[in-house]
Amino acid sequence: MENIYLTLALAPLVGSLIVGLAGNRLGRTLSHTITILGVAVSTVLALYVFNHHVLEGADVFNENLYTWMQIGSLNISVGFLIDNLTSVMLVIVSFVSLMVHIYTIGYMHDDDGYTKFFSYISLFTFAMFMLVMSNNFMQLFFGWEAVGLVSYLLIGFWHGKESAVEANLKAFLVNRVGDFGFLLGIALLLMFFGTLDYAETFALTDQVNGQTIFGDMSVITVICLLLFVGAMGKSAQVPLHVWLPGSMEGPTPISALIHAATMVTAGIFMVSRMSPIFELSDVALTVVMVIGAITALFMGLLGIVQNDIKRVVAYSTLSQLGYMTVALGVSAYSVAIFHLMTHAFFKALLFLAAGSVIVAMHHEQDIRKMGNLRKKMPITYITSLVGTLALIGFPGFAGFFSKDMIIEAVHFSNLPFAEWVYYAVVAGVFITALYSFRMFFLVFHGQSRVDRHTEEHLHETAPSITAPLIMLAIPSAIIGYFTIEPMLFTGWLDNAITINSEAHGSVAALKENFHSATGLITHSVMTLPFWMMVGGIATAWLFSLYRTQWADAIQKRFRRINYVLESLYGFDRFNEIVFVRGSRKLGDILWRISDMAIIDQFVVNGSARFARFVGSVIRPVQTGYLYHYAFFMIIGLMLVLTWVLVSGNNPLIDLGS
Amino acid sequence: MIALSDYLILSAIVFCIGLAGIFINRTNIIMLLMCVELILAAVNTNFIAFSYYSGDVAGQIFVFFILTVAAAEVAIGLAILTLMYRNRGSIDVDVTNSLKG
Amino acid sequence: MEFTSILFYVFGFCFVASAALMVTARNTMKAAMLLILSFFSAASIWLLLEAEFLAVTLILVYVGAVMVLFLFVIKMLDVDQSTLRAKFTKYLPLGIVVAVIVIAQMALVLSAGQFGLDVVAEPARHAADYSNITELANVLYTAYVYPFELAAVLLLIAIIAAITLVHRKGSRSKKQDVSEQVNVQAKDRMRLVSIPSGKRKESK
Repeated sequence: MENIYLTLALAPLVGSLIVGLAGNRLGRTLSHTITILGVAVSTVLALYVFNHHVLEGADVFNENLYTWMQIGSLNISVGFLIDNLTSVMLVIVSFVSLMVHIYTIGYMHDDDGYTKFFSYISLFTFAMFMLVMSNNFMQLFFGWEAVGLVSYLLIGFWHGKESAVEANLKAFLVNRVGDFGFLLGIALLLMFFGTLDYAETFALTDQVNGQTIFGDMSVITVICLLLFVGAMGKSAQVPLHVWLPGSMEGPTPISALIHAATMVTAGIFMVSRMSPIFELSDVALTVVMVIGAITALFMGLLGIVQNDIKRVVAYSTLSQLGYMTVALGVSAYSVAIFHLMTHAFFKALLFLAAGSVIVAMHHEQDIRKMGNLRKKMPITYITSLVGTLALIGFPGFAGFFSKDMIIEAVHFSNLPFAEWVYYAVVAGVFITALYSFRMFFLVFHGQSRVDRHTEEHLHETAPSITAPLIMLAIPSAIIGYFTIEPMLFTGWLDNAITINSEAHGSVAALKENFHSATGLITHSVMTLPFWMMVGGIATAWLFSLYRTQWADAIQKRFRRINYVLESLYGFDRFNEIVFVRGSRKLGDILWRISDMAIIDQFVVNGSARFARFVGSVIRPVQTGYLYHYAFFMIIGLMLVLTWVLVSGNNPLIDLGS
Repeated sequence: MIALSDYLILSAIVFCIGLAGIFINRTNIIMLLMCVELILAAVNTNFIAFSYYSGDVAGQIFVFFILTVAAAEVAIGLAILTLMYRNRGSIDVDVTNSLKG
Repeated sequence: MEFTSILFYVFGFCFVASAALMVTARNTMKAAMLLILSFFSAASIWLLLEAEFLAVTLILVYVGAVMVLFLFVIKMLDVDQSTLRAKFTKYLPLGIVVAVIVIAQMALVLSAGQFGLDVVAEPARHAADYSNITELANVLYTAYVYPFELAAVLLLIAIIAAITLVHRKGSRSKKQDVSEQVNVQAKDRMRLVSIPSGKRKESK
């Protein structure tokens, strides 16, 4: 079994290295074949592992494969922890990665960096596998950093484009802030638990539970908050969300792979994995929930005013990540993972569909210049519709089940602020439907605003692009219906997730009220979220298709709100003024004052000047005149005689003793 | 009867005169050397006085060696003096301040 | 008052007086002469202390050789007296003060209370056939032979040093280096120069 896990992890790495080093010589076809083969092997193995662990109920595999270093009593090694949670993540990551690999054949067809791109996305897949399969914090951090690095490489893939370079730098820096908090959390954990291994850590949670730090703050709370800072950076929660829209500068395949399905879900995965620790801290869970709610609501609002097709989907991703975080906050970890899974499929689908549209439109991305594309691109149209319906939570599709479960879980939660969060996520349903269908209608329906030249060449994209769309549309439609019961209620994830049921009883309450998946669909018409969704679709239709001029009128009327939304709540401006200019100013001060004035002038030159000063004081003693020297000798002699006589130590005479 | 202390005080007085001489004649190197000779003579007297009053002849041996060393020292001192005169044209100590810091 | 005591006081006074006059002498020549006088007084005192050999050695070696050397140098060098005299009076008071202080300190130590007759008795005078030289020799060549040899080496070094210091290398004497003379080449001694023959200048 161990070999299977190793092969699963290393196959993409091997593919990445071969193509990365020899890609130009191997040629395009061979390169993409090698990497796709690598990822396909991993996918097959992932399905096998899923079958082995989840469906057949095999034991959890937790072993260290290689001891990296031993520092005193701390053992840092490379090891795998394969339980049901890992298996689910492996299937998601490998499947979406495979789809993206196939998609890239068509999408990056005209690009010079074809082989490099394949190498990078295979490398990313490897890093994500290491992150998901790790059994200790150090390996988790390695995977964490590695996916951040590859994300940086890929966002700035078109490094000639200045906006891409700025975006990738921003992504890396913001991620770094999150990683810093994450590292502090790991360090604190090491300090109090004494180990970095998951199993050992979880066994010690009761022991560490009562301890405090910095006065009377619970250690567990501080650790959880710091770990969550890392999750905020990786999963783009407010205020560390600013990098995700910029990451749309990268090619669409990576937007699908990294910024929809896998990397941004690493934070959600990490918090779920750490559920035994998070359960012990209500404060941390409340913070998680509130931040998730803020992200879900406010990022959704921003999606309404975006005009770039990829940005709409990006803000949608941010909003959905917020939903997942809310689920984590109310201790519904399995619900969060469930939504993670469904979201991976339909969001990747939406990104790839957007990419398909972009390719067909000859890399035009502004939705105001699209319209009525459904006739020319039927496959893209249908798959987009499936994805959009899944996203907004239309009954029966995947997203419906997961999103509804989240809302219900919040409803049952008894954490502080749960009421407000409930209103926020319900409002979010309306907003989600609004922006999703606004985009859908503007792109595929209505009057064609496409310019003449592009319209002549408009046709459905190549099979290498549409095939993955279809393959992703299938799970987006049906996977929710089939997996909701086992995943949430009959214990697929039970051996991975710990919940303190007395204190945080949301999942237990959900279980009580759950009858069947079909029951959920039929009951949905009686729930508030359903009507919110309908309202959203209707509003979108109203403003996008029926009376588009009303949309412009409202925009002019509410100019100030529009300004706030279009400037993205001022986060970017704030970051620029406070952090960018601030750190430059700090560097300037440190350079001029600390380095030049204090160190150079004061310490280095100053000590030279001091030595010279002391010398100038002492130097006059050396007059060069012989008789001065003789004089000093005589005076010295006289003083010594006096001292000997007076001090009373002399054996000759008692004077003054 | 002359006590030991008388001899000692005598040599002390001459010693101090020699010291004062160094002080006073600071510019004239020859005078300096001669005052040093005076000091050495006083010290020799001291040694011999102790040797006589303690009956130990080691004091006189020591004077022997002091005389030897003093002679050698004068020879070399005067050689240096001659060199200095040859190089500078004067034995004024005020002009020989190249060691000034 | 015993005869030796009188002698002591006379010679002692002479010693001190000649020393004092020496240090305050303006003329270097006079100072040298006074130093010779003080050495004679010291030798007399040493005779009182039954150190005959050393007393005579003092005269022979010190006065005879060292002071003569001093006189040589004094006469040889042209000493400018005027500048020396100027600085003299400036430092006289300070010198006297320092001397008095040191004398006072020493007198405290070397007083009669510590070294007086009741503490250190006057030893018996030696017999008339006492040979100071024999006694010195008995000790010098047996117990102190090593310092003796060292002193000899020291003197040798002093000789060499003094000669080396003053020695001017070959500045006054010309001597022949035969091998150099034989190895001379024509080009070391002769140089052919070509002078263009020009028009003869008409001389007025």
